[in-house]
Amino acid sequence: MICILALIVFGVLGIFSATHREMALEAFDCVFRRVTLRKCDSGLDRRLKSQITGKLMAKNPAVARLAFRHFELISWFFTILFVASTVYAGIGGYNYYLYGNCNGPNEDGFCIFDPLGSNSKFSAAQADESCSAGPQERGELTLDGVNVELFPRIDRNAANDVVFIGCYACPYTRQSYPAIRELLARDDVDFAFAHLPVKEDIRAASDILNCVNEAGSGKFVEFNDELFSADASVLENEDGLLDAVGRIGLDREAIRQCSHSERIQNLTRLQISEIRKTGIYGTPTVFVNGEAVVGPKPLRVYARLLK
Amino acid sequence: MNVENVRRDFPLYERRFNGSPPIYTDSACVTLKPNQVIGAMSRYYREFPACAGRSSHALGREVSEEVKRAREAVRKFIGAGRPEEVIFTRNTTEGINLVANSLKLGNGDAVLTSDKEHNSGLVPFLLLEKKGVRHKTFQFGDLGDFEKKLTGDVKLVSTAITSNLDGTSQPAKEMAALAHGNGSLVLLDGAQAVPNRKTSVKELDADFLAFSGHKMLGPSGTGALYGKLDFLKALNPFMVGGGTVKNSTQEDFEMEDVPERFEAGLQDYAGILGLAEAVKYLQRIGMENVERHEQELNGYLSKGLAGPGMAILGDADPKSRGGVISFNIEGIHHHEVAGILHESANIMIRSGMHCAHSWFNSHSMDGSARISLYLYNTKEECDAIIEAIGKIKRLI
Ligand SMILES: Cc1ncc(COP(=O)(O)O)c(C=O)c1O
Repeated sequence: MICILALIVFGVLGIFSATHREMALEAFDCVFRRVTLRKCDSGLDRRLKSQITGKLMAKNPAVARLAFRHFELISWFFTILFVASTVYAGIGGYNYYLYGNCNGPNEDGFCIFDPLGSNSKFSAAQADESCSAGPQERGELTLDGVNVELFPRIDRNAANDVVFIGCYACPYTRQSYPAIRELLARDDVDFAFAHLPVKEDIRAASDILNCVNEAGSGKFVEFNDELFSADASVLENEDGLLDAVGRIGLDREAIRQCSHSERIQNLTRLQISEIRKTGIYGTPTVFVNGEAVVGPKPLRVYARLLK
Repeated sequence: MNVENVRRDFPLYERRFNGSPPIYTDSACVTLKPNQVIGAMSRYYREFPACAGRSSHALGREVSEEVKRAREAVRKFIGAGRPEEVIFTRNTTEGINLVANSLKLGNGDAVLTSDKEHNSGLVPFLLLEKKGVRHKTFQFGDLGDFEKKLTGDVKLVSTAITSNLDGTSQPAKEMAALAHGNGSLVLLDGAQAVPNRKTSVKELDADFLAFSGHKMLGPSGTGALYGKLDFLKALNPFMVGGGTVKNSTQEDFEMEDVPERFEAGLQDYAGILGLAEAVKYLQRIGMENVERHEQELNGYLSKGLAGPGMAILGDADPKSRGGVISFNIEGIHHHEVAGILHESANIMIRSGMHCAHSWFNSHSMDGSARISLYLYNTKEECDAIIEAIGKIKRLI
């Protein structure tokens, strides 16, 4: 049994060192012999057993005795443990590939492949000062009954629908933007951007966004490019936002006036209430063909959900 | 003999394994090397790293001179009559192979060996069987059986004086006399005898004696073959080339004299000088002191280890086992014993079949653990071994 364990461990170490490679070969030979119901004659199992017993004996004879007498049993135990954890690691790796997190879709438990959890963080969708994620009710996320047409959109009549709900000022939305930007560039994707001003002081950004969107089709994308790459501090004053409007070649005064209009402010209000219908608890939340992905994921996670 | 003084000559004891010096008891395989031997080897590389014999420059002459002295030292050590009777080899194995392949043995001839030979004393003759040479065995140490097997077709008796498997020895002198009476030649494997007690080829009346330098403080890969001059001259060298001929034409060659004709190609001069230094070291200590020291320690250790579950191979009397204690503990595999001794107490022993598979196989055993003591081992080390083995026994 110890040989199976040795095979796997030395097999992995063998990638890095030649001595371990030899031991892995020996372990392989041993496992092969056991599988074919012969005796393992390389002595590897005995060597490992005596090394372990000897080391223990120098420290604690009673433990050494236990290890020596029940060596086969202990090896079984560790082998099962090892195989089980390998399977778990495999599942984790698979989940990480699919969802950007080892634990499954929109989970944010610890993941060894993303130890800082940067793929799974999000900002709380309920407004507070800092955009920080607090404890949230997490219901089901859905686009059912949500009027996507209210939001700035690129409609190519394409096979895939992507709805990106985020907030200019929130760090994880900002982190997710490059991947989203790539999604949006694909010509098989219809795209909508729903801005959720989780902090009250960037509500003006929503109003301005709506005016920019009315000023020219696809202009909102240029505006997003500006805001997501700008320093977050400019988002909190109107001048900073209007500077961005200027940079994409629109009339800042006209946009300013538009954004103060009753009509636009109502639209923004309506948009926010539509967004709430999704059950959103954190930004960014991206719906790809109706399936929700929370937190800034690698592009592959979104792309996998495309048709 | 003062062991503490002896130990100071061995640089290995300056090394620490887990904080303490090693307890090295695998000397039947290879012994440690004293500074004197290391110094002699390094002297060759530093002062005259050149060819012997072939070159007439100052360095070449110096090497030739040193090799000559080395041959003389080895001659003296084994009590041979003439330095030409000493051929430098790489080890015992080479010596035995040299004789096996150079003697004119053929169809109908037989070689008699014991049933406890090291592979080096067995396989060369098993190979000769393919040429029609018969191979017969007698029971190791059993003179009666030996005499019985010593039939007229036996052209060569080849056997170990001392077994590496359990340390027991045979009455080699009596056996040589019987063999000579039968008209057979006698090749003695001295690998485990020459290092451990005074061995005189004259006294044994051996026709050939092979032994290894690395088992007697010498450098690794050194050894010698003694042969009575007339017999050496009658051999057909099987490995020839540079150094083995005086002259050659496109069609023929003129063989060198003995012993050079058996030393083909450039030799391990540093090793040869190291071997000579080892021999001198042992002579300074005195082989009778080496033997007595081993016997004392073996007596002490065997007594300390005796008890239920412990089976020591070979003669019960430690005095007739030299420095060797080959044993099995009931319930624990010998490889495990060796591994645990090493891991728990830095005790280095050998386990397995000790290259004597044929004996173990014919006794349906898969090996033993073997402690082999030498002049640098101490009573304190024996105490540590006794304690560690006691703990191992308690594992089961
Ligand atoms: C009795 C005996 N013969 C022959 C040999 C072979 O010696 P070497 O390996 O030095 O040729 C040994 C080595 O252990 C031995 O113990």
